[in-house]
Amino acid sequence: MVELADYKANRGTAWCPGCGNFGILNAVQRALVKLGKAPHEVVIVSGIGQAPKLPHYMNVNTFNGLHGRSLPAATAIKLANRDLTVIVVGGDGDGYAEGGNHFLHAMRRNIDITYLVHDNQIYGLTKGQASPTTETGYVTGTSPWGVLTAPFSPLPMAVDANISFAARSFSGDQDHLVDTIVAAVNHKGFSFVDILQPCVSFNNLNTHQWYRERVTPIDSSHNPKDRRAAWELAQQWGDQIPIGVIYEGDRPAYDELVPAIKTTPLVKQTRVDEKLHLLNKDFLARPERD
Amino acid sequence: MHDCCIRIGGEAGQGLRSVGQLLAKALQASGYHLFSNQDYESRVRGGHNFYNIRFGAQPIASPSPRVDILVALDNETTTRHMDSVNPNGVVIYDPGFKGIQCDDPQRCFAVPFTEIAEKHGSKIMANTAAVAAVWGVLGKDLSLIEEFLLDTFSEKGDKVVQSNIAVAREGYELAAENWTNRLEVPEPGADGQGQILIGGNSAIAVGAIAAGVKFMSAYPMSPSTSITEYIATQGKEFNIVMEQAEDEIAAVVMAIGASYAGVRAMTATSGGGLALMGEAVSMAGMNETPIVIVDAQRPGPATGLPTRTAQEDLNFAIHLGHGEFPKIILAPATHEQAFALTAEAFNLADAFQCPVIVLTDQHLADAQKTLAPFDFDSVSIDRGELVTSDEEAGPDYKRYQVTESGISKRFVPGFGKSLVVYVTDEHNEEGHLIEDAEIRVTQMDKRMRKLELARAQMPAPEEYGASEAEIGLVCWGSTYGAVREAVDVLNHEGLKSKMVHWSHVWPIDPQTAQAAVDGVDELVAVEQNFTGQFARLLRAEAQIECGSKVLRYDGRPLTAEDIVTQVKQIRGEN
Repeated sequence: MVELADYKANRGTAWCPGCGNFGILNAVQRALVKLGKAPHEVVIVSGIGQAPKLPHYMNVNTFNGLHGRSLPAATAIKLANRDLTVIVVGGDGDGYAEGGNHFLHAMRRNIDITYLVHDNQIYGLTKGQASPTTETGYVTGTSPWGVLTAPFSPLPMAVDANISFAARSFSGDQDHLVDTIVAAVNHKGFSFVDILQPCVSFNNLNTHQWYRERVTPIDSSHNPKDRRAAWELAQQWGDQIPIGVIYEGDRPAYDELVPAIKTTPLVKQTRVDEKLHLLNKDFLARPERD
Repeated sequence: MHDCCIRIGGEAGQGLRSVGQLLAKALQASGYHLFSNQDYESRVRGGHNFYNIRFGAQPIASPSPRVDILVALDNETTTRHMDSVNPNGVVIYDPGFKGIQCDDPQRCFAVPFTEIAEKHGSKIMANTAAVAAVWGVLGKDLSLIEEFLLDTFSEKGDKVVQSNIAVAREGYELAAENWTNRLEVPEPGADGQGQILIGGNSAIAVGAIAAGVKFMSAYPMSPSTSITEYIATQGKEFNIVMEQAEDEIAAVVMAIGASYAGVRAMTATSGGGLALMGEAVSMAGMNETPIVIVDAQRPGPATGLPTRTAQEDLNFAIHLGHGEFPKIILAPATHEQAFALTAEAFNLADAFQCPVIVLTDQHLADAQKTLAPFDFDSVSIDRGELVTSDEEAGPDYKRYQVTESGISKRFVPGFGKSLVVYVTDEHNEEGHLIEDAEIRVTQMDKRMRKLELARAQMPAPEEYGASEAEIGLVCWGSTYGAVREAVDVLNHEGLKSKMVHWSHVWPIDPQTAQAAVDGVDELVAVEQNFTGQFARLLRAEAQIECGSKVLRYDGRPLTAEDIVTQVKQIRGEN
């Protein structure tokens, strides 16, 4: 029986008091308990930033790698051991700027991992520069005249790229976030949750209050299998920001298609000794035919 | 040493590779030792390419600049290569080529490949006529070629097979009537039967499979791509996952991720791709992940000469990745070493939990050589401190436990209740982030102890030639064959010479380095780069000074002839 206490660690954090990350950390732990996964069955992969410190603040297998490069690491961990539940956490800078290319290809591959983006629309760890999701006009250390570009919209792009699972949630709505993470992990294939969260130190526009007033659970009439409707819904941003499962497709997960791992996880397989001698045959002038 | 060299020249897309491969196979089947290499351009059609096959009774490990049989599949071949053809050699060409120039009646032999082919059905068979004409000039039995034609074309039906055989017979007879016995052809040696004929890249791939590689990720880049393709094609038989990555950063990070999860993992690339991998190599240094990276070098800077050879990435590979961390670099000398050192690279990576780079180059990558079949029993798998149970991990498992050797137990996630934390920030023994100065120093010292441990285990360089040498040819990697042959020539001509060759190029052990060059009058660095990178490394690491250098950086492989000529110049003999 897995309990919340199994995941709880007492190492302190480097996060600011009131940071949205605390809510996400708590929700990840609750979701894993709800899923019945023990810490040793799970790997949390992260990059660099404030969000990617998350696995250090709980008890779980951890691969805390390079800024922006968590998706390729997670992809390979899943390919090497399909028995592991692999979850990636990162921020909007980590995932949408530095790691943008890997995000595109993770959607294309559709490997069975879950990607949680802590989207606070600002760079926190480097102390307040514009991120790809910072709103136009917002003044930051690197945009003294206000951000000149349009913010990147991850969800419409994800639906457009034929992602197999896309959702949005909010760090301030614990139950919603837990349920969304559970649905994402349960989905077979690449699942992505854009999690809105306030940055109490560097984003005084998109505050807890700002999000709270706007986030609206998606109506039960929405059919997440309807890609056109999902794309329309994913566009919504402004007075009302829909949260919940926006799209869920049914493409086969990549790891179910790779021949070498169909029956046994790669890490449980050894060298195929009895076939090695066949490799010489490829290079003989006249390979004897079997 | 008597051997014979065939060169086939033509445009990309003309099938000169299939001509070369058929001839090489037939010579291999005849029991010859052979070495073949290709000179090709970075394009799919057109341009000028050629394929060399050097064969004889003794093992051969380098190309020859001289040609005995030149096969011209276009006009440019005769123009470009006539000067390389020996006085008693032969130039086989199609007189039907518009404007072809071949005026020397002693050497020019017209064989109307296209006309013969058309007569029997289609000009597509012109290359078959060319192969058969070479076989006739060599005075060999045509039945072997017929056997290979049957093999090649049997899937296309009996008519195609028979037409090709008819073309071959006509080309062969023309040559037999006009040219047999005009060329001195060596007989195969007694030990040549049953050899394999393999390229350096394939040898690397086979070495990796023999070492039990389970995961490879790569982004296509010449001249490394055939390693990736070979591993991919063997994936089903040997249960290997080859993932084509979106870029080289993803490729190396994937390999590191797979290694974290417990499988042997590799990637392969060339210089530009290696540059993109820098940050991740540093990560593997910090989070202590075993990883094997093959760099098939080509001339830079930047895109450079994509299909040509160089040894320009040594400095770069040694310094690849920011910060300081242990790393091992191996540079195979030969096809045999391409296999054995790749397998060893996986054991070293597991033993020292660090990145290992295998530095090959386009020359070794694409050159094919006959050698004894690989002995797979010689490859043992040693995973070092990898642990796969809670009992082995011990209570209160810590990934970065400080040990005397610097090596800590590497637990595989999911194989027990122990949790494993990998990290790229500086960290404590558990793998959690720290800022503490003392812990930083402890972890840094722990990691760097592994480098000294590795240094002590690096084998001594290989010495070959005269014991009290006047000239010592200092070299590394794939120039081995050419240097060794040059040493033979120089000793034969009375200049006492030896080769000192490194395959384990980083870290360098100064003691074995000094012992190997001790007593040599003059050291000459032989390298395929502009600055003499290995000579500089030896000066820095072992205080060994190479007084002069033989450097080739035009993208073409060094030959024994190049080295002998330049050594004589250095000695003031020319």
